[in-house]
Amino acid sequence: MDGTATVAKDEPAGGSTPSLAKASGSMAIATLVSRITGFGWKLVMTWLIGINVTTDSFTIANTLPNIIFELLLGGVLASIVVPLLVRSQDDPDGGNEYTSRLLTVGMTGLAIGTVIAVAAAPLFTTIYVDGTTGKANPDLVTAFAYLLLPEILFYGLFALLSAILQAKHVFGPTAWAPVVNNVVILATLVAFWLMPGEISLDPVRMGDPKLLVLGLGTTLGIVVQAAVLVPALRRSGFRFRWTWGIDARLREFGGLALWILGYVGISQIGMVITQRVLTAAAVGGVSIYSNAWLLFQLPYGVIGVSLLTAILPRMSKAAAVGDTQRLVDDLSTGSRLSAVMLVPISAVLTITGAALCVALFGVGEGGIEQSQRLGHALAFSAFGLLPYALVMLQLRVFYAMKDARTPTLIMVVMTAVKVPLLYMCGALVRPDQVVIAVLLVNSLTFVVGAVLGQMWLWVRLGNLHSKKVVKVIAVCVLASGVGAAAAWGLSTVALPTVDSVTTAWVNLAVQGPVACVVAFGVLVALKVPELKPATSRITRLVRRG
Amino acid sequence: MTTRRTEYPVGEGAAGNQAGPGFLVPGSAVGDGRYRLLAEFGLDERVNAHLWRAQDNQLRRDVGLTLLVGDPANATAAGAARKMLERTMHAARITHPGTSRVLDVLGPGNGIAPNEGLLGIVVADWSQGTDLVDVIAEHPLPPSTAARLLEPLAAAVELAHHSGMVLGIDHPQRIRVTPDGLLRLSFPGPLPEATLQDDVRGLGAILYLLLTGKWPLRSAPGLPHAPLAPDGQVVPPRALFPYIPYELSSAAVRSLTDDATGGIRTSSGLLRVLERAKLNEDATQSISAIQDDTEDEDDDGALWTTKRPHNDRSKRRKLAIGVTALAVATVGVLAWLGMQLISFFGDDSPGAGGPTVVATAPGNAENNPKPPTPGQPIQAAGVQVYNVKGTPDSPRRANRAVDGDPATSWKTDKYQQPFPALKPGVGLMASFAEPVPFAEVVIDSPSSGTVVEIRTAPSEKPGLDETKVIGRATLQPGQTRLQLDSAEPTQHLLIWITTLADGNVSEITEVGFLRAAQ
Repeated sequence: MDGTATVAKDEPAGGSTPSLAKASGSMAIATLVSRITGFGWKLVMTWLIGINVTTDSFTIANTLPNIIFELLLGGVLASIVVPLLVRSQDDPDGGNEYTSRLLTVGMTGLAIGTVIAVAAAPLFTTIYVDGTTGKANPDLVTAFAYLLLPEILFYGLFALLSAILQAKHVFGPTAWAPVVNNVVILATLVAFWLMPGEISLDPVRMGDPKLLVLGLGTTLGIVVQAAVLVPALRRSGFRFRWTWGIDARLREFGGLALWILGYVGISQIGMVITQRVLTAAAVGGVSIYSNAWLLFQLPYGVIGVSLLTAILPRMSKAAAVGDTQRLVDDLSTGSRLSAVMLVPISAVLTITGAALCVALFGVGEGGIEQSQRLGHALAFSAFGLLPYALVMLQLRVFYAMKDARTPTLIMVVMTAVKVPLLYMCGALVRPDQVVIAVLLVNSLTFVVGAVLGQMWLWVRLGNLHSKKVVKVIAVCVLASGVGAAAAWGLSTVALPTVDSVTTAWVNLAVQGPVACVVAFGVLVALKVPELKPATSRITRLVRRG
Repeated sequence: MTTRRTEYPVGEGAAGNQAGPGFLVPGSAVGDGRYRLLAEFGLDERVNAHLWRAQDNQLRRDVGLTLLVGDPANATAAGAARKMLERTMHAARITHPGTSRVLDVLGPGNGIAPNEGLLGIVVADWSQGTDLVDVIAEHPLPPSTAARLLEPLAAAVELAHHSGMVLGIDHPQRIRVTPDGLLRLSFPGPLPEATLQDDVRGLGAILYLLLTGKWPLRSAPGLPHAPLAPDGQVVPPRALFPYIPYELSSAAVRSLTDDATGGIRTSSGLLRVLERAKLNEDATQSISAIQDDTEDEDDDGALWTTKRPHNDRSKRRKLAIGVTALAVATVGVLAWLGMQLISFFGDDSPGAGGPTVVATAPGNAENNPKPPTPGQPIQAAGVQVYNVKGTPDSPRRANRAVDGDPATSWKTDKYQQPFPALKPGVGLMASFAEPVPFAEVVIDSPSSGTVVEIRTAPSEKPGLDETKVIGRATLQPGQTRLQLDSAEPTQHLLIWITTLADGNVSEITEVGFLRAAQ
């Protein structure tokens, strides 16, 4: 056992330890870098391969292992196994037996699950791809799926190992490992591009060298991501032994686990329908959807998550001691801060969406037209940024109150709203624009989720200062509207239309700052009090970075 | 709900344990996983007993749990809990409608895992019905109803006292009202030091509560305390509500007092008063018939439904459902509007739905009196860039011109000078599975001004002079329909660009082939 672990053991259980506080700073940087590199390889993939059937098929196949892993283990791991892991550190053997047992049983289960999943790859394709309109290439998806599904095992290994390391207060390697994965994938893409020839689409040949490079390289990335944790685990003093059986403590959480699994399962229904509608509509839809979603999440990932990490520990502590007043205060503060930060960003994304996407993706194989479609998709869905952040915040509050049921029920309602609207997209909108409508629906669903979450938290906690929150949101929308209008007006008067990467950069460089400055200027002029902590937080972040 | 969560010993030995009953939440499991908690019904602060409705995971039935929370390392608390469990076990022998049947009594190492943070659990039959607190929440009950409700509980106490056992009824949240209108001790578990007298006092307190809506003993959560007279005693119920018969009012007060003179010391004494009050029921009703009628109806509603009329949460829940429905409807409308907007937005995108221009066949009337009539569209087996000089233009994207997707296209390189400065032209060679007679080629392109020739070719890579022109047109933005003047079957068809559009670059979004009608 190293020094930090011993220090941590002297602390009362549940209390935050100094090592955690220190670690979170460098972790924020690692998270940022891993998000940027993760976005980077998607970008490079668009430049080198384009937005077409190949990237569509790859994208679908690459989400499959993630989904199955989540269904098999993901949610349960985060909400049950990890808390127990932390508790097991107080066992007489320092949690060694519990950890070994967890690894033995968990990995065996996952290995079996992986074998079954790989064998069922064609089945997954028929679930996720609607090939009836001839726009998608199910054979290619299946071929990729065979190569990518083994990732499940390594996702699982990574998740378990990082949980174990976190329980031992070792944070660095787990935060940096995804960066390693992204680098491996980048290398894979370059290798793919350098190889001569094309992936043959009709018929799809499993032995096709380019197909193999892309598929196996991506899987290798996850393998490496898990493997880099092994030395860190050895250093922490843990020795693995085969230990079979189920720990008695796991039974306590039976009900909770089921609700969390339900949450994942139901959200997957929405995902499946989304993919089917997209694959039936037009080529490139899936790639555009995943890229737009990535761009959408980027501001949340940087701002929202850093806010959450600041507020979340306080909230869970308040929930644990039953201090409703403080919990409500923190929730309200979190909501208002998110509004002040994210609503102006939504406006900027709406106005500069097309320019941004052409500037980033319109290089190489990406193509101006497809990038513009991506940009429109982003512009039409950017308003969902705040609702999305609120849903995430509320989710944490529910979990902090150990209520896994309400979030699942909220997810049920969200999915029930989403599915008919998705089919409406397919019916109402031209095929090549379906992806724009699908992203719009996605954002609208988050609006439903945010309203629902706020209402049910109100039912449980009483007055949430909702009026105050709504007022701040209204002011932000007003300010952002002014900013967006200013940028739009400027573009009609003085800026060239976006038809090449250069004009896109020009537009972006002018419109983005204008919209931002005007929107935040109006907020400052209206003396929104939430802006002060937000700006100071940013300056602190900048100083730290 | 309660803020009393810091009262637990947090000294040495407690660190590894749960710090407080924060783990007692709906959905969590207790009793080594056997019972899953459903809803909290109260808290007896005197012994830190949490009252929960729960489900028996094995027998799939509902039970009422009295959870004794505390640290096993604290000897005093553990001893008190052990005592309570023992007393409950003894009292379990009593079977009476006024008390829920005790199903099981669990202690540490005997159904409770050591790390659960619990000192004991009393498992009892779940009694359907309403919380006592909810029944009197809106208004106090008419005296006759109060007497009728309390009688079976008093009878249960009487039965227990005959065998020298204490029931432990002196806490309002432990009592529930069954659907058939009886008070029942639903969360059994007498306090370690409780005496028979405490039970009688409890009965008196419940009677006081039913009559006035106020609790005369140590304050209970969620209930107003009874007002005190200057002598420190609670004021008699009659002083609050003059319609309460003197006998009931004084019985309630006398059961509460400790002093031997004039106090009711046994449950049988109280029981007699209750029976008499019940007999007086008719008389009371005939005296103030109107008042009682309305009140009887009201408390019917309160007694025989499980609804909680005074519950803030249920009102909020209804409002929440309403707001949710409104949000869903709004979002539906917004989605529809958004999609209209998207359709509107997309109409100006190039290459879609543009006008169709028809270019007639170039051949003159002598060669071919009548151009072939177009029939079925036919899909090319493959498309390649056809190039005679220099490097081919975007050869890997040639098939985008026939992929059926108007969002993708094939483009020529961007040339410095117009053809034929560098090359005579550039084209797309479409190959078919078998020789086909063609009637029309439809080219969808945003590059107006591009001049295109359609040529038949003998092979996939012929010399340009081996090919034969059968159609020619200058492309208009959108679709251009080229009629061909030869119906001779050919397996290879060349779309040959001889003049580029503005900027010396041309783009072809989609090419469609129509065979001649037979």
